[in-house]
Amino acid sequence: MASSWCWNCLSRLRPTPRALLPPSATPRISSAPFHSTAVHYAQPAKKKGNSLTVVKHRQSTSLRRKKKKVADRGGRPPAVGERKALRKRIVLSNPNALEIEGMLELSPATMVDSRLRGTVLGLPVPMIDQLRAVQAFKPKQGWSIFRRPGTVLRRDTIEMGRLFEQISGEGDDAQKGKVVKKIITGMKGSGKTVHLLQAMAMGFLKKWAVITVPDARELVSGDTAYAAIEGSNPLQYVQPSATSALLTRTVDANRELLASLKVSQKHPTLKMLKPSSTLEDLAKLGFNDPAVSWPVFQALWTELTATAPAAGLEKDFKPRPPVLVAVDGLAHWMTESAYRSAEFKPIHAHDLAFVHHFLSLLKEGDSLKNGGLLLYATSASNNPNPKGLSIALDRLAARQAGISASSPEYPQPPAYSDADPRVLDLLQPAEKAVSPLELQTLGGLTRDEARGFMEYFARSGLLREIINEQWVSEKWSLSGGGIIGELEKLGRRVGPTASLSK
Amino acid sequence: MKFRHQTTCGKTFGLTEDFLPEFNEKQQVTAPNDCQDTSQPTHFKMVFILGVNFPERNLLKKSLQTFFGIGGNSSARLMSRFNIHPTCRVGELANKQVLDLTAVLSEMKIENDLRREVLNDIKRMKETGTYRGRRHALGLPVRGQRTRTQIKTPVKLNRMERRL
Repeated sequence: MASSWCWNCLSRLRPTPRALLPPSATPRISSAPFHSTAVHYAQPAKKKGNSLTVVKHRQSTSLRRKKKKVADRGGRPPAVGERKALRKRIVLSNPNALEIEGMLELSPATMVDSRLRGTVLGLPVPMIDQLRAVQAFKPKQGWSIFRRPGTVLRRDTIEMGRLFEQISGEGDDAQKGKVVKKIITGMKGSGKTVHLLQAMAMGFLKKWAVITVPDARELVSGDTAYAAIEGSNPLQYVQPSATSALLTRTVDANRELLASLKVSQKHPTLKMLKPSSTLEDLAKLGFNDPAVSWPVFQALWTELTATAPAAGLEKDFKPRPPVLVAVDGLAHWMTESAYRSAEFKPIHAHDLAFVHHFLSLLKEGDSLKNGGLLLYATSASNNPNPKGLSIALDRLAARQAGISASSPEYPQPPAYSDADPRVLDLLQPAEKAVSPLELQTLGGLTRDEARGFMEYFARSGLLREIINEQWVSEKWSLSGGGIIGELEKLGRRVGPTASLSK
Repeated sequence: MKFRHQTTCGKTFGLTEDFLPEFNEKQQVTAPNDCQDTSQPTHFKMVFILGVNFPERNLLKKSLQTFFGIGGNSSARLMSRFNIHPTCRVGELANKQVLDLTAVLSEMKIENDLRREVLNDIKRMKETGTYRGRRHALGLPVRGQRTRTQIKTPVKLNRMERRL
């Protein structure tokens, strides 16, 4: 590049005259312009910012932020009912778990065998559909970690098995047709619901009629339709769709039994019923038409508890089997429901006809004419804590321990407590009752039972430990004295326990 | 309320144009034949309660509460009066229950009747020159709240031409 200095004369070259340079203000346009208008005719660009916006009269001057737009996550929301179905899904098998060789099944023989105490017995495969139908399995019970569903044969189970045998009339004839009424309590995780499941399984094995209320809360939470029964005093309410669901459950689970029994009583309210129809046909009437579901259930109940046929219907009469009634979450029935009467007063759960029917079975002397078992379990985790239930249960326990009602040790409700008189009255014993109400409290497993249970985990490949006396003893103590729900947590937690114990 | 204004095809309540201009714009009376909302897919069944169509999957309690003047308490009372459970969907109602509800709702002072009453009350207070009337007119809180901060709602609502 040429310097502006002349090297020969070392004088500065004259600068180019200014007049020859283009004016610096106007840009040089080297190519054809897109706009034909000169740039300097254009409007000056507006200033950004809100200095020009006028604040309105009495407008708040606090900071205004732009609302964030919710990011579209893409895809559609789950379909109606999909999330609930996922929540309520019950998985009964885990193909990754090892199959246990020589695993025994629950059967009329094994369920009373005290040599098998502490072993885990598989539930018979054909029965699983029936158990599903009565909603015996609950979503969070951990069935999904084993190859096939099975339950421990613990002391309470064997005792219950013997009860089933007695009531069915095997062995002692005097016990046949007995009614046993039990309220099952116990700590959280002590196996109350699984105890009911075992009862249902035994009921199916013994060909009993199994009627269950898997969740007592559903009846009182205000989620199903209700209607007043006109003319009842005190006013009672039916729950048609809940009754319809009960009939569906009952028929699905007891189809074989109900199909083999014929109608033996007269039901003037159900005109569509023929004398030759089976109890299955009877129950099916209430499936689709919730309006008649309650009368249909009442008719089914009279049929199941019938001891002799009505006149003219003797031809096909078969003796009715014993009945198992299992209710889970009893405490929900001991308080006011979420329903309201027409006067906007809360309806007590005992005023719902469905609930009243099942609770009155506890009260009456021989509520099941052909014998049977009433098992009403409380729940420790889903407990509305109704006023008066705990004192009523304490009284039951005291009575079982031989404390008379006049004794000063007999539990009394605390002064000024508003214990529900209806609850206290319901669980009050009748004088010289034929079949008194019992309280059964489930505790922990014994160490031997706990060992059998933990071995089941080990043999399923879930627990990598050497199961010996010391190890079981440690876990038994850790689980609060063999509370089975806690034992299960210890058994399925592979990592930390394994490293700690080494 | 948004949904109701989109699909409403019911009657208006005979308000004059200058009295409540805004509702009249929203609740134009249309010919009965135009009532079908063609933007909805046909598989949506609708239930007609007091001149308003509700999709049947909606909760009845929420649907009742879309009426001006019906809140949580009145809707719960209404439903228990006809033995309708709290989580009932609109589609689960029997025909008779729909008719009963409509009959009771039509006797209640709700929607524009109630709006008119409230506006008349405010107007009366303004005309008699009470303190509350003045506060309404000035766009200031009426019930003794502080005015240093947090008066967005009265600023928004309390005008000379009050709207609801």
